[in-house]
Amino acid sequence: MTVSRLALAAASFAFLTTAASAEPTQYPLTLENCGETLTFQEAPTSTVTVGQAATEVLYALGLGDKVAGTSVWFNEVLPEFKEVNDKIERLADNDPSFESVVAKKPELVTVQFIWHVGPDGIVATRTQFHDVGIPTYVQPADCVAKDNTVGIDGTRSELFSTAAIHLGVQELAQIFDIQDKGDVVVASLTERENAAIEGAKALNLNDVSAVFWFSSAEMGIDPYVAGRKGAPAYMMDKLGIKNIIESDEEWPVVGWETIAKANPTLIVIAKMDRRRFPADDYEKKLEFLKSDPVASQMDAVKNNRIVVMDAHAMDATIRTINGLEVLSQSLKDFGLAK
Amino acid sequence: MSLTTSQAIYVSRLGRGMLGFVALVAAVLAAICIGETPIPVTTVLQTLANKILGSAYPLDPIEMGIIWNYRMPRAIIAACCGSGLAISGLVLQSLLRNALADPYLLGISAGASTGAVAVTVAGFGAGVISTSLGAFVGAVAAFLFVAALARAAGGGVTLQGTGQIILAGIAGSQLFNALTSFVVTKSANAEQARAVMFWLLGSLSGARWPDVWLAVPIAVIGLFACFWYARALDAFAFGAESASSLGINVRQVQVVLIGLTALVTAVMVSIVGSIGFVGLVIPHAARFLVGVRHGRLGPTTALIGAAFLIAADVISRTIIPGQVLPIGVITALVGAPAFALILLRGRRRQ
Repeated sequence: MTVSRLALAAASFAFLTTAASAEPTQYPLTLENCGETLTFQEAPTSTVTVGQAATEVLYALGLGDKVAGTSVWFNEVLPEFKEVNDKIERLADNDPSFESVVAKKPELVTVQFIWHVGPDGIVATRTQFHDVGIPTYVQPADCVAKDNTVGIDGTRSELFSTAAIHLGVQELAQIFDIQDKGDVVVASLTERENAAIEGAKALNLNDVSAVFWFSSAEMGIDPYVAGRKGAPAYMMDKLGIKNIIESDEEWPVVGWETIAKANPTLIVIAKMDRRRFPADDYEKKLEFLKSDPVASQMDAVKNNRIVVMDAHAMDATIRTINGLEVLSQSLKDFGLAK
Repeated sequence: MSLTTSQAIYVSRLGRGMLGFVALVAAVLAAICIGETPIPVTTVLQTLANKILGSAYPLDPIEMGIIWNYRMPRAIIAACCGSGLAISGLVLQSLLRNALADPYLLGISAGASTGAVAVTVAGFGAGVISTSLGAFVGAVAAFLFVAALARAAGGGVTLQGTGQIILAGIAGSQLFNALTSFVVTKSANAEQARAVMFWLLGSLSGARWPDVWLAVPIAVIGLFACFWYARALDAFAFGAESASSLGINVRQVQVVLIGLTALVTAVMVSIVGSIGFVGLVIPHAARFLVGVRHGRLGPTTALIGAAFLIAADVISRTIIPGQVLPIGVITALVGAPAFALILLRGRRRQ
C-alpha cells in the first residue's frame, strides 16, 4: 500500500511538472453510458452520488468540491478521502429517496450499481431523473459485458477487466473536463495492478486454487461465493489462481460440499461493516471454517491459508486493485512460491 | 389358518406401515448417496459402516465428513421438517375445518423472520442469542399475538366460527413482515439485492447434527399428539359443536393442538426457514390415499411429508449442476401440479 501511495504521489508529481498532455473536453459532449446516450453542454457544477464506489472515484479525481451529497455506504470511506468526505452531506447510509437526491439540484447523478436506477431502480429509474433534467452516469464496471436482468446481482458475459473501471474514471474526467487528472489516476491504478501481477508471477505458482466467500444468509448454509467472471475472478485470473467455482453469476450460492470437495489452496473471506447476516462478520466466518467438521478438514483451513479482504474490493470498484495487492502479497506470505 | 376380517385389515395396515417405513429409509439412503458432488456408493456405505458399526475403512476425511456431517443430518432434518410441517397442516386443517389452513397461518414464519432480523441486524441479544433462537422467539411471539387477537375478537379458540383466528393470522403476519422490513431498511449499512431473506425461502443446507437432536423429538411430539387426539380430530370434521356433543373437551383440544402445532412449526422454521407448500398439500394427498380417519391419516401424512421433503431436497441439489435451488421452489413446483391433480381426481369422485 505504501509503495502504491508513493507511486501515486510520483505520478501526480510527474503530472505537475510536465505540461498537461490530454486535450480539454469539447462540449457538447455526447457519450454512451449503460444503454443511454448522455449529452453535456458544459461540465456539471455539482453531482450527487448513489454508491460508495462512484463517490470514491470522484474523490480520486479531486472532484470532492463538486459533490453535493452521497449515499449507499458499505463501509468507511478510504482513509485518504476522509477529510474531503467529512465535509459532504450524506443523504442516506442506504438507498436515498428520489426527492432527497433531486432536492440537491445536482447537474449529474453518479451511480455505482445499475439496480439503483435501472428499469426497477429502487431510487428511481434513469428516465425519472432525465425527466427532471438531471443526467445519470452509471459506473461502466456494472454494465459493460454484464446482463443485469439475469441472476440476483447480474451475470457477466465475459470476464471482468479493470478496463471498465478505467473507463469509468476517464469518462467522469471527460464529463468534468479534467482529463489530465483522469489520466493520472488511471496510470496509477495500472501501475499498481502491474506491480501486483508481477509480484505473483515471480512466485511461479503451480496449481493454486481459491474460493472467495462473501457471506452466507445463515451460518453454515450454502455461502455466497465469487463466480468466474466478476472482480474476484479477475484477480484470480491475473495472479494465476484457479477459481473452484464454475458459475457466471456474480455471487452464486454454492454448497460447502462442493467447496470442501474441491479443496482450494486458499480461502478469501470478505470483511465488511454490514451486519445483515451473522456471516457478514469475518470473525464468524473464521470461526465456522475452524469448527465445522468438514470445512475444517480443507487444506486451506488446516494450513491457515485464509485471506481477509475488504468486501468492497470484491465488487468492481477502484478498490479492486487493493484486493489484487492483498491477494498477491498473501500468496507470497503463504510461501506458495515454487 | 385363515385370518378373520379384522385381522386381515390389521395385517394389511401393518404391511402398508412397513412399506411406508421402508420407503422412508430408502429416501434417506438415496439422499446421502446423491449430492452436489459425485461420491461412490461404496464410499457412502463404508462411511456408514465406519460411523455406525465402528469399522475402520480408510477414507478421505472430507468425503466422509460430507456424507456423515452434511448429507446425513440434512436428510434426517428434511424428514423431520417434512413430517412436522405436514402434521401441523393436517391438524390445523381439521381443527379449523379449513382446507386452506397451513402451519404459517398463525403468523409463525413472519415472526421468525422478525426475530432473526432483530438478532442479526438490530443486534438484540448482544451476540449471546443465536439467529435460530431469535427466530424461535419471534415465531412464538407472533403466535401469541395472533392467538390473543383471535381470542379478543371473540372467535378463534371457541365453539363458534374459526374465521377469527385466520383473520388474526393474516393481521399478525402483515404486522411482523412490516416489522422485518422496518428493521432491515433502518439498518445502517447499505444492502445488496442479494440479501433475499433466507427465512422466507427456507434452506436445508445449514442442517448439522445438533439440529437433529432438536428436530427429531419435536417431530415425534407432533406425530404423537395427532395420534393421541385422533378421535377428537375425527369429531371436529363435523364442527366444534358436534365434537362437543360427542363428549370432547373442545376448548382443551383446541388450545393444546394449536399450541403444539405452533411449537412444532416454530422449531422447524427456526432450523430451516419457512419451506412452503408441505403443510398445505401433503395432508390433502394423504387424505386422498387413506381417507379422513386421523388414526391412519396422521402417520400417513407424516410419512409422505418426510419422504416428500427429502426427495424435494435431493432434486433441489441436483436439478441444476453446480447450483442449489431454494427448496421452496421445488416444493411448490412439484407440489402445485400434484395438488391440482388431487383436486381434479377428487372432483371426479364426487
